[in-house]
Amino acid sequence: MSNILTVRKMFRTVRFAFTMARRSITRRKFRSALTILGIIIGISAVVSLMTLGYGMRYQVETTLNEMLGAGIVISSSSYGIDIPEYVQYFVSQVPGVNNSIPIVTSLVYISNQPYTVVGIDPVQASEVYQVTLEDGRGLVLGENDAVVLDSTIASDLGVKVNDVVTFSTQTGGVGKIFKVVGIMRPFIGFGQFMNIGVFITLDAAQDFFDKEGYVSSILIRLTDSSQGEQVEATLKQMFPSASIITQEEIMSNINQIMNTMNGVLLGLASISLMVGALGIMNTVMMSVHERRREIGMLKAVGGERWHVLFIFLSEALLISLIGGIFGCIFGLSGVYIIQWFVKILGLNITVPLLISPQILGLGMIAALAVGTIAGFYPSWKAANVRPMEALRYE
Amino acid sequence: MSDPVELRDVVKTYDLGGGIRVDALRGIDLTIKRGEFISIMGPSGCGKTTLLNIIGGLDSPTDGQVIIDGINIARMGEGELARIRREKIGFVFQFFNLVPLLTALENVQIPMIFTGRLPNAEIKKRAIELLHLVGLEHRLHHRPAQMSGGEQQRVAIARALANEPSIILADEPTGNVDQETGWKIVRLIKGLNETLGQTCIIVTHDPAIAQVSERILYMIDGRIISEPPRLTINPSSNILADERRQMLLAELRWLEASIKSLERRKTKLSQESYAEAKIGYEKQLERLKKAIQESYEKRR
Repeated sequence: MSNILTVRKMFRTVRFAFTMARRSITRRKFRSALTILGIIIGISAVVSLMTLGYGMRYQVETTLNEMLGAGIVISSSSYGIDIPEYVQYFVSQVPGVNNSIPIVTSLVYISNQPYTVVGIDPVQASEVYQVTLEDGRGLVLGENDAVVLDSTIASDLGVKVNDVVTFSTQTGGVGKIFKVVGIMRPFIGFGQFMNIGVFITLDAAQDFFDKEGYVSSILIRLTDSSQGEQVEATLKQMFPSASIITQEEIMSNINQIMNTMNGVLLGLASISLMVGALGIMNTVMMSVHERRREIGMLKAVGGERWHVLFIFLSEALLISLIGGIFGCIFGLSGVYIIQWFVKILGLNITVPLLISPQILGLGMIAALAVGTIAGFYPSWKAANVRPMEALRYE
Repeated sequence: MSDPVELRDVVKTYDLGGGIRVDALRGIDLTIKRGEFISIMGPSGCGKTTLLNIIGGLDSPTDGQVIIDGINIARMGEGELARIRREKIGFVFQFFNLVPLLTALENVQIPMIFTGRLPNAEIKKRAIELLHLVGLEHRLHHRPAQMSGGEQQRVAIARALANEPSIILADEPTGNVDQETGWKIVRLIKGLNETLGQTCIIVTHDPAIAQVSERILYMIDGRIISEPPRLTINPSSNILADERRQMLLAELRWLEASIKSLERRKTKLSQESYAEAKIGYEKQLERLKKAIQESYEKRR
């Protein structure tokens, strides 16, 4: 019985407190609007940056999946071109390995600009790289002087299909001429970070770097992705000195980078949220100060501490609730603005706008948490006002 | 049934810091009967508001017992005192102290919301009834800023009655309204006291309230000097004679100020109420002067 009474009492007070909070906010329209604006800025920063981060992560993961058809990559521990090509035969015999593709990756200079060139068997290239041609054709087995460039690099170099480019191993060094046979769509996201966009045949690469019979990595496709660990263990036994990286490891590395990036963005956003919190604290503090007599009266007619606490806390909560809702809306619009800004800057990064209910929920929770924390101190002060002194106040 | 208010040797000392102490109450013994209508008068700073706050559980005494409806509240904690205030006491203040954000109807509901015993519909119904009782049925949805001082004070009286308290405490309820409105408020409180039977304790400077009171307590310097009744005071006691004279002189100063204020407001008042007040004041003045004269003669 007394429980029902307590619940009913609480409910009454909550309703009453929100009525007062609503009126208090609408009475001081300008001040409330500024305070709400502070929260809107903070929450929209959080929501837009998190949505951006989420979109980027999604992008990176999908491109990684596209690009890294390989489940496992074996490289030499020195990252040079020094794995004998015949090793591929032994690798292909390991149970669980579906296909193994030797590649050469190294640094070349084209017009004194550094690029990563990939030498690969053109027949097997599609197994690990998803290449989409925009112009020309792909590489053909046995072609020793053909190159496929991505369109960004091609336009940087100012070349088209059938033009020629000169490769050299160092700046200003003597080079070899390659003919551009195809131009492909650039890899987005991760591929761009890795600067992969220059493809020649494996033979051409070995010839160019003067490493006949050697490769820099062997990309492995698994029959079943669940066998990754088992295959990795076998390979480690066979080639104890090689560096063996699984797709999961790469993914977790990328994830770590993404998490760090998200953390930094969130840290930045939370600074603006903190400023919003100070705004709430200030507004409620002023409200408490202006309404001291009222607090004294509320206590005189029998209000307890928690009644008064809740009346002022609900003002902070209402402000942060409104700020949170508009913050989420503006935050999503903010992603469009960022996309547009990126386009204006001419950066070739497309970030998809993915609306995630979790991020919006998190935005609302952040808003309410900020309201509660910022509103608590002034409300606590209000709750502890001594009625007699407040009533004497004039 | 126990008496609603019983004070035993109540002392209140304020520590202002720096070794400065102020004795606001210096041993108050007081019993108030159920349904009594009492005025507390005295010069400012004599401790009347402190006394009222202690009876109402807004402040705790330094020493002594404060027994409200048979319960000693002198050593109660904050939460318990809030409950006592909510259930047993109705406060009326000089500055009305309504919540400016809320309508008259909502203001009257506040104590009932805090108590939380009645369902919402009942709370609202009772608030409307109370506003009818104080004659404000046409002002239910007005905010304090849209009402006159007298109307605001009537809302405050309705609010004080909300939880059917056994005691109504009023601190200069007519101190902030003009004289005519003051009369109306006095008549309202007195009428409610007669019909509802609540015990009323009113701190006032207003002779109109004093006139309708069943008992007037004069306070001076933290003591009640007409309690116990004057007859039992030893007439040869010089200290008491001194105190009485001090009190009379204070009252004289107050009366002279009241007359000046009446003259100032002469044009605003109706002819009759001005004349009535003026005659009342003059009678009091005459009586006071005589009493002061006597007190000097006695000493000689």
